[in-house]
Amino acid sequence: MATVTLNKVVKRFGAFEVVHGANIDVKDGEFVVFVGPSGCGKSTLLRMIAGLEDISGGEIAIGGKVVNDVEPADRGIAMVFQSYALYPHMSVEQNLSFGLRMTGNPKADTERRVKRAAEILRISELMDRRPRKLSGGQRQRVAIGRAIVREPQVFLFDEPLSNLDAELRVQMRIEIARLHKELGVTMIYVTHDQTEAMTLADRIVVLNAGNIEQIGAPLDLYDDPANRFVAGFVGSPKMNFMAAKVVATEKDAAVVELLNHGGARLRKSLSSAPPAVGADVVLGVRPEHFCEAGEGDCDIPVRADVAEHLGSVSYVYANAGPEELIIEREASRQRASGDHLVVSIKAGRSLLFDTSGARIR
Amino acid sequence: MRNRNATAYRFLTPYLLIFAVFWVWPIISSFLISFQATRTVPWRFAPAFNWGRLIGDPAFFNALKNTLLILVIQVPVMIALAMVMAVLLNSPLLKARGLYRFAFFAPVVVGEVAYSAVFRLMFNLNFGIINKLLNSVGLPSIDWFSNVTPAMALIMIAVTWRWAGYNAIILLAGMQSIPEDVYEAATLDRVSKLKQFFFITLPLLKPVIVFCLVLSIIGTMQLFTEPFLITERGGPGGGTETLGLLLYRQGFRSLNFGYASAVAYTMAGLAIAITLVQLWLTREKQ
Repeated sequence: MATVTLNKVVKRFGAFEVVHGANIDVKDGEFVVFVGPSGCGKSTLLRMIAGLEDISGGEIAIGGKVVNDVEPADRGIAMVFQSYALYPHMSVEQNLSFGLRMTGNPKADTERRVKRAAEILRISELMDRRPRKLSGGQRQRVAIGRAIVREPQVFLFDEPLSNLDAELRVQMRIEIARLHKELGVTMIYVTHDQTEAMTLADRIVVLNAGNIEQIGAPLDLYDDPANRFVAGFVGSPKMNFMAAKVVATEKDAAVVELLNHGGARLRKSLSSAPPAVGADVVLGVRPEHFCEAGEGDCDIPVRADVAEHLGSVSYVYANAGPEELIIEREASRQRASGDHLVVSIKAGRSLLFDTSGARIR
Repeated sequence: MRNRNATAYRFLTPYLLIFAVFWVWPIISSFLISFQATRTVPWRFAPAFNWGRLIGDPAFFNALKNTLLILVIQVPVMIALAMVMAVLLNSPLLKARGLYRFAFFAPVVVGEVAYSAVFRLMFNLNFGIINKLLNSVGLPSIDWFSNVTPAMALIMIAVTWRWAGYNAIILLAGMQSIPEDVYEAATLDRVSKLKQFFFITLPLLKPVIVFCLVLSIIGTMQLFTEPFLITERGGPGGGTETLGLLLYRQGFRSLNFGYASAVAYTMAGLAIAITLVQLWLTREKQ
């Protein structure tokens, strides 16, 4: 078990900088998820921790020891790849034991480790099979098993579930959470799927275009995002953003007018100085935070374009156009396209951002 | 659907006609001719005339021995060399990769007569650069064209020079199809580059290596150009005569078509047999 510390880590490919000075402290035994859209640098960051990519600037320390110039095999890490990266010509047993056999690990110890990994992952009956005879989920277990036999201080997962179907993904997600609990080892997990991040992580690192947007516990990011990017990325369906203008200010509040919703006004309490009157702002409201007309602080009329009924809840997609809103409603089979309804926003459950995306608190 | 097939076959007809006349018919015809005595007029059916002769013909066994000797020595050496070249071409450290790729592949596109002439000059006893190089390191000159062993070695060197690059390109394509993350996983497993080559690259390349071996076996069984042009029609004294050359000598110098056809079928049969044995030996074990 070990801590992982990234100190001003930079990655450049030629002149192109893809990671701009990342600072992250992963605690011993913690499950940290790097999440962000494609190309945000999350996999590059993970590969730098693994030693598969050179570090262009800054320092990476594992267990308190700077590993910038340490070979990947000597960093005490094990990695699970998106494509599983199993050796196709070897059986499951050979896949698990290959690294240990090649490095002359005592046979009895190799057998013990392989047996233990197989038991943890419940793949003991698959040991003689080749990877191509395994299902996607089984392959993923073998890939994780190969990491377990190394008995690493840190597990690295690079989008391990993205090649699996939805049902298997949920199942494997639970398996990985169970594994973390059982092994108690530090885990760093990369995904673009915010649901995976929310369900697995002790802490989430949200990345965007090579920058860390926010680091925090899943529900902290959900409740208290640092900026519009995090607010939009965390939560499913994503947060609604409505163009607004500050029409009046008080000492600790601003009154905003929603520009695309019939001039509806909302008084938003703030803990900092409010923006100037006339400033353009953006109001963010999560789909699940709309309430029935009259129950909130600001009613807005909408026209439903499409309604998705999921059984437990319904999502209404309203006002197709420049500012489509997604509204979560109680399960209802009646609501359909063309319906007019009035929903309400609670000021306390809305967030305010300036036009650059920074949060106005 | 039937209509579409009919249309397709109408388009294919010109090709199929040419294929039937110039490919299928000669194959059948030569098989039939191999059972005929073609040195009498008119030809007569006499199975033992050619096939019987083949069994007791020292020239045939000499050509067979030479062909198999080249096959056994040259093909493995060439594939091993091609593998080394492919590894070098695949190395991320290599600069000017395109230039090397071209250089390795170039021998295939050089005209056979031209390259044979250059080899004859290079290996010339008196003024060839090879002998000059040997002399410069204190070794005596070798008469490459008058002694059997050097002449055979020369044939093998020439064939290897011509085809190693071609096989290297095929092996390179195979190497590049192995996913990079398999090597990354091995690197994390502390497996050295050398062990990665022997335990990952080679096993995963096996189908490609087998393909190269089959192509090379077929090519060597038909070997003709080099012994014909470089060692002057299988010289010295038949020392480098191959089955291909024997076929040519019998069929087109002595106009003994029946015997030449029997030799041709023997070559094809041997190529198929050796290939099948090799495929069996390298089959995927379950």
